[in-house]
Amino acid sequence: MSKLMEWVDARIPVSDMIKSQATEYPTPKNLNYWWNFGSLALFMLIIMILTGLFLAMHYKPDAKQAFDVVEHIMRDVNYGWLLRYLHANGATFFFIIIYVHIFRGMYYGSYRAPREILWWIGVIIFFLMMGTGFLGYVLPWGQMSYWGAAVITNLITAVPVIGEDLVIWVWGGFSVDDATLNRFYVLHFLLPFVIFALVIVHMWALHAVHSNNPDGIDIVDEKKDTLPFHPYFTIKDLYGIGVLLIIYCWFVFFAPNAFLEPDNYIPANPMQTPAHIVPEWYFLPFYAILRSIDFLGSFSKLAGVIAMVGAILVLFVLPFLDRSPVRSFRYRPLSRSLFWIFVANSIMLGWVGYNPADATAFDGALPLIILGRTGTAIYFGYFVMLFIVTAFKIEKPLPLPKSL
Amino acid sequence: MKFLKIAQVAILAAAFIPQIAFSAGGAVKPPAQEWGFKGAFGKFDNAAVKRGAQIAIEVCMACHSFKYIQFDSLKQFGYTEAEIVALAESQGRTKKDKMISAMDDVSAQESFGIIPPDLSLMTKARKGYEDFVYGILTGYLSESETGVVDAALEDEKISKAEALELAPILHADATKIEHIKMTLDRISNGDNFNKYFPGQFFAMPMPLSDGAVEYADGTESSLKQMSHDVTTFMAWTAEPTLIERKTLGFKVLLYLVFFTILLYAVKRRIWAKAH
Repeated sequence: MSKLMEWVDARIPVSDMIKSQATEYPTPKNLNYWWNFGSLALFMLIIMILTGLFLAMHYKPDAKQAFDVVEHIMRDVNYGWLLRYLHANGATFFFIIIYVHIFRGMYYGSYRAPREILWWIGVIIFFLMMGTGFLGYVLPWGQMSYWGAAVITNLITAVPVIGEDLVIWVWGGFSVDDATLNRFYVLHFLLPFVIFALVIVHMWALHAVHSNNPDGIDIVDEKKDTLPFHPYFTIKDLYGIGVLLIIYCWFVFFAPNAFLEPDNYIPANPMQTPAHIVPEWYFLPFYAILRSIDFLGSFSKLAGVIAMVGAILVLFVLPFLDRSPVRSFRYRPLSRSLFWIFVANSIMLGWVGYNPADATAFDGALPLIILGRTGTAIYFGYFVMLFIVTAFKIEKPLPLPKSL
Repeated sequence: MKFLKIAQVAILAAAFIPQIAFSAGGAVKPPAQEWGFKGAFGKFDNAAVKRGAQIAIEVCMACHSFKYIQFDSLKQFGYTEAEIVALAESQGRTKKDKMISAMDDVSAQESFGIIPPDLSLMTKARKGYEDFVYGILTGYLSESETGVVDAALEDEKISKAEALELAPILHADATKIEHIKMTLDRISNGDNFNKYFPGQFFAMPMPLSDGAVEYADGTESSLKQMSHDVTTFMAWTAEPTLIERKTLGFKVLLYLVFFTILLYAVKRRIWAKAH
């Protein structure tokens, strides 16, 4: 065995790579459980690609057959129901994990120098995940699939001048139809592999600059401040995967439709609009931002789309907006308050997005559109305020520890 | 421990958000029923599914199909080969056929103005799930309720007393006499009123009433009994793999919990060296 490895290592240094990048890779010893969500996300991506691959072996991207073929998978394919429920609920858990992962990065300043590129790749992965999730939701060709696709693709018409032609190009026809389903399927199959490639780049960038840590300070003494990745973090990550699997499998086996809209068990019908079109839960805050801009007349649609896309794009400039000398919010009381307002506001926006546009709260006293507009202002306000409290040194950071 | 605290708060917050008082208006929520197949250890009551299949074939299939279900698959609920053949023949099909209604789309469109939806997935395809289906089947006006409605319709006017009596029957606001009047007018026009259908009127006339079928096993065929049985049958048609899923799920979770406890113990042990 060792002879064989010597032979291989002389040609491609696998053992060195494993040693320096995995088993002996120095990892900050103070990482808390919020750092588990990176490995959890990778685990979910692998589950999604594997279950998706087997589902693809049975699925047919045909507007006349897609709905029935999903039921065929559920009923006739051996453990087809398991594949589909793992995949459908997997999307939900993938997004829960990614949101926690992003919030963790925001709280501990993981986007700060020298990790900007690492952060940007992450934002691109998040953006592609949203695209992949949207495309995948169309494939069962239920009512919500169809009308969700119709509503979202219609946003393309907001693009000035070429919007109307562009949407026809995207649809491959004059409405969401068979051609649309076909190309969505192709893209839904392709994008996960693009994501996977980007995850490798994400990890390459991570290993170049090393992990941030809850204190947000640099490693001074590698011997004292770090632990080898194996066995310390392999076991910690495995334990995290165990906990994830318990929760995930509980939903898969006992409440597999908890995150699905009942309307999606009705076959797509272009002649009948559902009473209330809702996107998947992980789009809801952005959907609320989109709908909150309704006061600009004929510009509302375009402005809404810009606000929605801007809500993600703003993450790209976050590394430059945060001017504090300290990374971790653990030592930044003002930033920390802003952060928790941001998190609560995001959940509130999600709730607003879930409800019909004309809904009201507290017996009609509060139209939700007001909440949506306020929430949108708070969402973008976070980035402005973070800049103000750090650039103008309004925030006085607490003293940092000397080492981990 | 701070991690746990934050996670706890987040989960609690997520659980309570949908319950914040808000009004979107619309349908009355059908009351919750007891379903033996719910819960982690729930099982289908085979006798109930068998009775439900009888109603599905004798009543529902006059208009609706169960296009994902083969007649033959009903064997598992205690139907004999001969009974299956007879049931299929009663619909002009063979036992290998799917349960497709004899009514074609064109005549359905002519009679009801709409093609009756396939029922295979119905209990999964509506908000409220099984409770909704049961609510629809039992949500038409009962004989005594029809009496109250007829009495109110005798003269043009609706008195306050009549409105108060009608309000709970129609799930209406007793102070909105105009609304009650409109509902009554539609009922007298022959439109199908249902307490739990969003909008209260729809194309399906009352499909079941006491004694609509004669159960092969001698069970009394009350409206409630039949509605419960046929909904149970529909829960099975919506997800024939339900029991297989839960049985496997129990084993999987048991294994995962055990395995995760081990992982945690190993993690503690390994990290003991680091602290």
